[in-house]
Amino acid sequence: MMDAPTTDRWIRCLNLLQLVLAGIIIMTPTVWMVLSSFKPSFEVTAYPPTLIFSPTMENYLQLTRTTPFVSYAVNSLIVTIGSTALGLLFGVPAAFAVSWTRISWPAILTLAARMAPGTLFLLPWYVMFRQVGMIGSYTALILSHAVITLPIVIWVLLPSFDSIPRSVFEAAQVDGCSVTRILWRIALPLVASGVAVAAILAFVFSWNYFLFALVLSNGDTKTLIAAAFNFIGEGSTQWGALMAAATLIALPPLILAALVQRWLVSGLTLGAVKG
Amino acid sequence: MSDAAATMAQGRQRLELSALSAPAVIFTVAMIAFPVVYTIWLGFQSFSNTGKQSFAGLANYSKLISDNEFWHGLWVTIALYVLSLVLQLVFGIWLALILFHAKRLPGIVRSLFISPFMMPPVVAGMMWLVILDPSLGAANYILQSLGLPPSEWLASPTWVIPTVALIDSWQWTPYVALIVLGGLQSLPSSVYEAAQIDGASAFKTFQRITLPLLLPTIVTAAILRSVDLLRFFDIIYITTQGGPGNASNTLNIYGFRVGFEFFNIGYASALMLTLTAIVLGAVLAFNRLRGAVAW
Amino acid sequence: MNARMFAVRVALPVLAVAAISVEAHAADFDWKKFQGKTVTFLANNNPVAQALLTYKDDFEKLTGMTLKVDGYQEQQMRQRLVTVMNAHSDEVDVFMTLPSREGEQFSAAGWYADLTAMARNDVAKEYDPAGLSQALLKAATFGGKLTSMPMNIEGPIFYYRTDIFKKCGIEKPATIKDVEAAAAKIKACDSSVTPFVSRGLKPAIAYTFSNVLHNIGGSYIANGKSNLCSAKGKEALDTYSRLLRDFGPPGVVNYSFQQISALYRSGRAAMSFESSNELRTAMEGGARLKDTALMPFPAGEAGQVPTVIGWGLTVSSHSKQPDAAWYFVQWATSPAVQKKMALQGIAPPRPSVANDPEYRKWIDEEPVRKEWQAALDVLATKGSSEVGYPIVANPESREFIGQAVQDMILKQKSVDQACADADKALDALIAQK
Repeated sequence: MMDAPTTDRWIRCLNLLQLVLAGIIIMTPTVWMVLSSFKPSFEVTAYPPTLIFSPTMENYLQLTRTTPFVSYAVNSLIVTIGSTALGLLFGVPAAFAVSWTRISWPAILTLAARMAPGTLFLLPWYVMFRQVGMIGSYTALILSHAVITLPIVIWVLLPSFDSIPRSVFEAAQVDGCSVTRILWRIALPLVASGVAVAAILAFVFSWNYFLFALVLSNGDTKTLIAAAFNFIGEGSTQWGALMAAATLIALPPLILAALVQRWLVSGLTLGAVKG
Repeated sequence: MSDAAATMAQGRQRLELSALSAPAVIFTVAMIAFPVVYTIWLGFQSFSNTGKQSFAGLANYSKLISDNEFWHGLWVTIALYVLSLVLQLVFGIWLALILFHAKRLPGIVRSLFISPFMMPPVVAGMMWLVILDPSLGAANYILQSLGLPPSEWLASPTWVIPTVALIDSWQWTPYVALIVLGGLQSLPSSVYEAAQIDGASAFKTFQRITLPLLLPTIVTAAILRSVDLLRFFDIIYITTQGGPGNASNTLNIYGFRVGFEFFNIGYASALMLTLTAIVLGAVLAFNRLRGAVAW
Repeated sequence: MNARMFAVRVALPVLAVAAISVEAHAADFDWKKFQGKTVTFLANNNPVAQALLTYKDDFEKLTGMTLKVDGYQEQQMRQRLVTVMNAHSDEVDVFMTLPSREGEQFSAAGWYADLTAMARNDVAKEYDPAGLSQALLKAATFGGKLTSMPMNIEGPIFYYRTDIFKKCGIEKPATIKDVEAAAAKIKACDSSVTPFVSRGLKPAIAYTFSNVLHNIGGSYIANGKSNLCSAKGKEALDTYSRLLRDFGPPGVVNYSFQQISALYRSGRAAMSFESSNELRTAMEGGARLKDTALMPFPAGEAGQVPTVIGWGLTVSSHSKQPDAAWYFVQWATSPAVQKKMALQGIAPPRPSVANDPEYRKWIDEEPVRKEWQAALDVLATKGSSEVGYPIVANPESREFIGQAVQDMILKQKSVDQACADADKALDALIAQK
């Protein structure tokens, strides 16, 4: 039998190997996409694939030149932040209540909206929001996207709340804390990393969703992702611009994840075993 | 504390708990009640194919039963679902464990590891379409450089479902990993310490302690992926539109095309409601499982 | 075609078109009549709309109206349109449409406003409706009603590489048989290129296949029945699928314009049968400018019957202000605007613009442009706009045509089996009322 330090080194080596392998598989396509966004448009589909090329900003310049890219991005931010906030506002208390009572139908109900194909909602929502004159408004878009964010928040937080030992709550109750107070003062800080994950996921899903904006927005409130399709039409396919748009679209969720990640890491060292 | 006071306190608590979930419930009902009722109504309408509406009773549903394309779509949906879910759960747990143990990984690299699902599925579909193109794509170029035979990927009726499942798994495995990672982080450290004292091997610890404790999280991840996978849409919409032939024509793609490309809103509504019922069934089944594995 | 159908399909459109040519009440016309109004335009964000919308300001200045543009890629535009029209919404005043695809269906559903009277009475002196392509006007006329005004002219054309042809000692193909022979020679002479490429993606096949079918002398419908199992129908299915199977790129069953143009542009295809609209994409980077020749698809037993279609501009039947909307349609399809669009590479649906000296000068700048325009001239004079079955369910009919071709490319069915299955499904579609 090997002595302990050798086994340790072996395990560490194995871990590193797996990490590198996973990293290559995961990141190669994305790196390829980012590289492509700096290629001249026609070189994106060149064969054999070009690895060495003179990078150009042309695709990015073209984006800003031919589309109101910035105002689309602002629209997307408003809708995404609005719907993520709404999802957290409604979702956090609901997840807590479901976890506490073990009565799961409210969680299932909120998920119901995601069980139906998105296309099912297009016509009815259009009719509904038109009735109240809200087609093209941010409100309609935020409300529709909150239907996506709400179940994510609830379902991601459920296991986190579940994992808090009951004794913690019981002790607080004995001290005379109300349920709401327990949620805000005791439970929420304990699931902070879960909330961060839920927020990122809600943000990403809302940011990337295009179908609802297709019928509920208008020219002024169109979101970035709904506009991204315009680069793949007949007679106007621009691979370079598409890759540049894709890179820029993927950027905000990535930045957000990187920012919150630090917090996640600190949460991790607090909660888990050391070494 | 007297009995009466205890009952009162319990009643108050129940009220408070209801109030906590009320906003979510009311909001959801307000947003989905009308669409569902409206779609049910549409499902009873015939749009012939001139767009003129008339009441059709159950005609759309009886058409569904005799429609081979529907049954084929159901089969494609289930095959794609099972394959993708298994891939994503297995590799998701694997990736979560790797990341969990790689504690010194800088945050920025860690977030790159979970980056694929942050890419809009539409964009991911476009990207893979280029990479997997049999003549122009980098994938076959790499295969051939390594001396391996090229594949037709998305263009082969045999390989299209595995290929789509692979694309989807590339994108969503990190998502499953993120959820599982969240579960791993919230596991009480005391159980590990106990296991370490007992001298259990790493694999045994995982099998006997980690996995059972993680089950609720894994089931949650499975539920969240199920609702998306059973409604598989974006990547097929971008890459194959249900082809070659009808080899990747999932129910969602089929329903979409019937409604928005062939303009038969009535039959499309019947298809979409049927699909919704299937997803609901799967979620309810998983939810029972969740109840069974909760700790 | 029976007598009644003939009346609807041919005689009435001719009458309607003749009616347009009647002298307009030009004297009463005032571009500023609807000053201050806002017209909403649901656009397909393709090069046609992009070229048009570069002159948006001109329209607003000329009329004092505001133009609100809502642009989407084709499939998304259709999705939005279906939603808006099914909700009977007046949100959209003007939209773009493909009469060859959805014309029958949209007019049966009552989604188009009737433009016949407006195109006759409410036009500026210089509009010249009679100068528009009569074939395209006819294709946009349903049940005697003119439903949209043509914006451009387009169709699949044959791109081929002169250098490869020369190297392999092949003449310019004159017939479909020549195309196949050329493909076989190229396969033997230069194995690094794909000899022939065209559309293999199921819903996209009808666009190019229709041209082959018509050249061979086949028809989609005979005596009210689907006709793919006729000798000519089978020959067309066989020829088209054989060209793609034996000489096309691997994975051709997923090929539509994106892949075809990318393959051709990168120099890896010797012949490509693809939309005239894709010229710009195929020439991007300049590599193909000097070694490409263009022409309509080579003849079959019935000669050359190229496919010609065009995007149309129409007024929504739910619009609350069809008169103001018509002003935009009229401006956008006027000779002056179409000339400006032509100079950006949008093939004009007006012979007068195609012969305009300034446009000719632009055409003459590049040999490729010259051949492109020459091919389009043939399309304009000889073309048929029948893409898929001339029935209300045209979009769905393309599905079964595509399925039959794919079944044969993938060798899943014999030609007899494929055409029989398609005919059965298509007969059911034809029978639908």
